[in-house]
Amino acid sequence: MDTELSTVAAKPGAADRTPLGRIQADTNQLFLKCLFSFNSFGNLGELSENMRILSLNAELAAGRAGNQGNAVRALTQYTRELVSRLNAVSRSMLSLKSETYNQSASALRVLHQLRLLNRALEEMGKRKSQFGKVALDKTTRSRADKLSFLLENIQGMTRNANRLAVEADQVSEVVTQAGSIATNIAIEASSAGDHEAEFDQVAKTMRGYVAQLHQMLDLSSGPIRDAEAIGSSVQALTRQSLGKTPSLLTSPNV
Amino acid sequence: MISQTIYQKSDHKWLAFGQDPNKPERLIDTNQIVITSGDAAIVLDPGGIEIFPPMLAALTNEIPIENVKHLFMSHQDPDIGSSLPLWRQVCNEDVNIHLSWLWTSFVAHFDAEANITPIPDEGMSVQLSPNVTLQFIPAHYMHSSGNFSVYDPSAKILWSGDIGAALMPTHQPGDFFVDDFNGHIQYMEGFHRRWLGSKRARDAWISTVGKLSIDIITPQHGLFFKGEDVQRFLDWLSHLDIGSGLDSMGGNYGED
Repeated sequence: MDTELSTVAAKPGAADRTPLGRIQADTNQLFLKCLFSFNSFGNLGELSENMRILSLNAELAAGRAGNQGNAVRALTQYTRELVSRLNAVSRSMLSLKSETYNQSASALRVLHQLRLLNRALEEMGKRKSQFGKVALDKTTRSRADKLSFLLENIQGMTRNANRLAVEADQVSEVVTQAGSIATNIAIEASSAGDHEAEFDQVAKTMRGYVAQLHQMLDLSSGPIRDAEAIGSSVQALTRQSLGKTPSLLTSPNV
Repeated sequence: MISQTIYQKSDHKWLAFGQDPNKPERLIDTNQIVITSGDAAIVLDPGGIEIFPPMLAALTNEIPIENVKHLFMSHQDPDIGSSLPLWRQVCNEDVNIHLSWLWTSFVAHFDAEANITPIPDEGMSVQLSPNVTLQFIPAHYMHSSGNFSVYDPSAKILWSGDIGAALMPTHQPGDFFVDDFNGHIQYMEGFHRRWLGSKRARDAWISTVGKLSIDIITPQHGLFFKGEDVQRFLDWLSHLDIGSGLDSMGGNYGED
């Protein structure tokens, strides 16, 4: 294998500095950041269900408290609205995650095919294949198609990172409102007489859920930001590659 | 990748490709065959995806890609046709892809968009040109459960796929033909003992191809048999104890 080819098929463990190698490394990073962000919200569904059960139990407690529980009963209604929003966010994230998996798998498959098409162009060029013209044209066209397809997938992954940020904003709003509900239930507890301890427990549990949601947001915020940034840069790199000849694509200096 | 014309009569040619000196060592070496007649060609077992670049370059050194009207896959293994999605990028859109009906939905995992013509169990014929008709001959369970050999009655050559395959040392002689059959046995014995499992299938295949007039047998791995080596190979295979993988499964289950 000559030097030029060995830059195309980089040895395992060695950093591949060709544009395709950089696109592949960045695409991997983009996927990892997305994955980490999705995983940060992995327990969202379970938390939402726990919040729903808490609201039901709080409503029962409010019923037992009679007039002293009226405000708490209203607060449980708000809580269930928050649960609905969290469930919608959870479903949307699941769909985004599935899409991102598919896009990442497609991107990696296409990157592999692009490497092989580049090598085919090099090999045909070196051999100056007697009957190579049509094959060269078709391979070049196929390479351009695959780069476009790769770009679409990377754009999709980046778009999903942006959409994940929007969903995270929704969770952030729920956190603020759930925090207010917890505070208000705690205030109601102070004047609930015999039911104070029960309402206090509801407020405390709700604060626990708020803390968990906070933690999810904290864990995801960095990776989401990173994913958006990596997505933009790898898109730019792929667009550049679309305009380059295959030989430039295999040069580590480009 | 080396290419060699192993048969030529007028514009009817068998071209062999393989023994790529630049192939990564971890990839098993494979032979690819291109049969041409007039402006039509068929590629037999076009190979794994990693050998697509040198194979395409070598092929277009011999014939225009637009002449490739058929791609044939003897069975479903990745070294046979995982290059399919890339071949479809460079061949004509209406290229015919032939594969046992048994594997069409499996090979879709390599290439979900390929429009494959399923070969029925009993085999079929394909007219490559007005003068050349190829026969896809059943070779089921040798080793794949949906497997075909290709016979060219005009050239008297049989593409046998994995039957007759040999795992050669890294440094190959640069020639495609066996020149010392007895010396060659060491390279194919282990392969056949392990990859072939059914004596009934082996006997059925030998019985079928034994009725054909064959000058050359071309396996997918290793070297080709010509002349008297053809019968030597069939005789050797007919007496070989196969199914060696059963040794690791314990017990004595008798003959199949």
